Amino acid sequence: MSGFRRMAQRWRGAGFATVLLVILIAVNLLLNPTRFHPSAWGALIGLAAPLIGAALASAPVILAGRGGIDISVGPLMGFVNAIVIQLLFLKLGMSSPLVIVPAALLIGAIVGAANGFLATIVRIQPIVATLGTYLILTGMTLTILPAPIGPAPGWLKAMAGPWSAVPLALIFLFWWLVRQTPYYDQLMAVGSDDRAAYTAGVPVTKVRFIAYVMTGILAACAGLMLTALIGSADPNIGPTYTLIAIAAVALGGVSLAGGRGGLAGAAIGAIDIFLLQSVLTAFNVSTYVLQIAYGVILVVAVIMTALQERLSGRKG
Amino acid sequence: MHQTWFQSTNARVAGAFAVAAGLQIVGTLLIPGYSAPFAIRALLVIASLLAVASIGQTLVVILGGIDLSIPFIIGFANVVAAQLYGGGWNFGLVCVIVGVLAMLIGALNGLISRGLDIHPLIVTLGGGMIVQGAVLLWTGGFPSGSAPQAVSAFVSIGGSVGPLPVPALVPCVAVLTLLVALVLARTPYGRRLYALGSNPGAAPLALIDPVRMWMVTYAASAFFAAAAGVLLLGFTGSAYGDVGQPYLFQTIAAVVVGGAALVGGRGNYFGTIAGVLVLTEINTLLIGLGFRPSTVQAALGLVIVLLVSLYGRERHVSATI
Repeated sequence: MSGFRRMAQRWRGAGFATVLLVILIAVNLLLNPTRFHPSAWGALIGLAAPLIGAALASAPVILAGRGGIDISVGPLMGFVNAIVIQLLFLKLGMSSPLVIVPAALLIGAIVGAANGFLATIVRIQPIVATLGTYLILTGMTLTILPAPIGPAPGWLKAMAGPWSAVPLALIFLFWWLVRQTPYYDQLMAVGSDDRAAYTAGVPVTKVRFIAYVMTGILAACAGLMLTALIGSADPNIGPTYTLIAIAAVALGGVSLAGGRGGLAGAAIGAIDIFLLQSVLTAFNVSTYVLQIAYGVILVVAVIMTALQERLSGRKG
Repeated sequence: MHQTWFQSTNARVAGAFAVAAGLQIVGTLLIPGYSAPFAIRALLVIASLLAVASIGQTLVVILGGIDLSIPFIIGFANVVAAQLYGGGWNFGLVCVIVGVLAMLIGALNGLISRGLDIHPLIVTLGGGMIVQGAVLLWTGGFPSGSAPQAVSAFVSIGGSVGPLPVPALVPCVAVLTLLVALVLARTPYGRRLYALGSNPGAAPLALIDPVRMWMVTYAASAFFAAAAGVLLLGFTGSAYGDVGQPYLFQTIAAVVVGGAALVGGRGNYFGTIAGVLVLTEINTLLIGLGFRPSTVQAALGLVIVLLVSLYGRERHVSATI
């Protein structure tokens, strides 16, 4: 029974997002059975993967609290996309996953560490620090890659097709391992009340720094998934993921004040947004109506999440 | 806690002004004609437009919030004003309609953010997207119309008022700056704003209604964004829905470079003006040196981080207990 209660507790934050998920899946199945047929799941997951990846990447720093946020996630995805295709694949002729994946993750870790250094050691407000990296990464991407270019290696494109679930599964395995460590408890403690955590001996700066590095690494993964999906390099797509990923995280019941929620919620929020786009597209409305509906549902969904949290007796 | 002058907001503002002046000197030394009258005029006009758009962000940041709907409201005002004026409406009436609609949108942003305790980042982003979509739907993506001659003359780089060799926009923004500073420093509204921003928990005990303050402040932010949108219409000559997009991060950067803290309760509009001048100087200088826009953007990011790490650092957690 206590196991069930713990499950309920874990899912309560993402409650509304989960309900929305079920509804949206049902609606999508009714509207568009062929697109959602099991045989098409590979391509479908590949299509949703960059947004899910971006949302997962945004989560750790938000969980770490005190205004923790990383708006450079989108540009970092674009930067990884540009480096992998333009520099590694086309210029240096390296196509092996054993080169590309570690190189991408290393870039992510370095950028994440830079963000972490600025936000936790120099102690610049996170949104300003990552705005700085946002501008730097966008500028560097456009310098390396002034115009879109292709193609991508075959194995990478397969990651948006039949094998699209693999990268996401690996991320969840990684997060599951993190949850088994004391670091996870420290992260949540710092996120909910950093002063109490500090007085209890938690190394607050170190915990937050690691959260930024994790965000960087996950953003690099999302960059690879983006590369797999578009099968080319495009300097303009990455930055568009930033704000929508943060919206997905909030929709998934992760408090932007920190310390509440998790990566499962972030993923559900992202899937919600993806399915929502899919429903709206199925109605064949103009892209303008789509954008209005998108904004309305985003705000309403976040309001519902807030109301539900309030009703379930937790502080808002 | 005792603060020396160097840690105060005034020092940050003075620092930002010094950086702007330093950049002007560097530009004059490196680029011929950098301090020519026309170049200075162009710089002042561009800075004034950003200054108007940043008023709201300053107020909202002092309150402890953030407003991502500014670029969308700018685009909204820009397109709607052009469209209605092009349709033969009286321009005064057009401005009133645009201003009132913008304030309603802003008030709604504030109401939802504070009333329901939802992070303003999400609310203003969602609200902004709705506004942009509605405008696109109305115009079919191809806005038409233009600004009346008076507005174009008001912001024209070549314009002049009386003996002053600058368009009327520049002295007007100077007066507006003093007014905003006066409101912040000398009115009950200003005191409530700082009180609520520095301690959201205690302010209601001093009979400050947080929801009302958020609604008023976000409405003001949207109003000034709309004003910037109409001015930009005069500046560029034709309507463009995405005209506000560069202002999304520029307003935040200006406020922060000017020494305000995004946690609320600190900062003032003089600081934002200093931040606006620094950003405009860097942009002009780097483009003048022949860098590509992408390089300019990267350099801008670097400069923001450097400046804020010089004087915008937060306290360590051990110093907040």
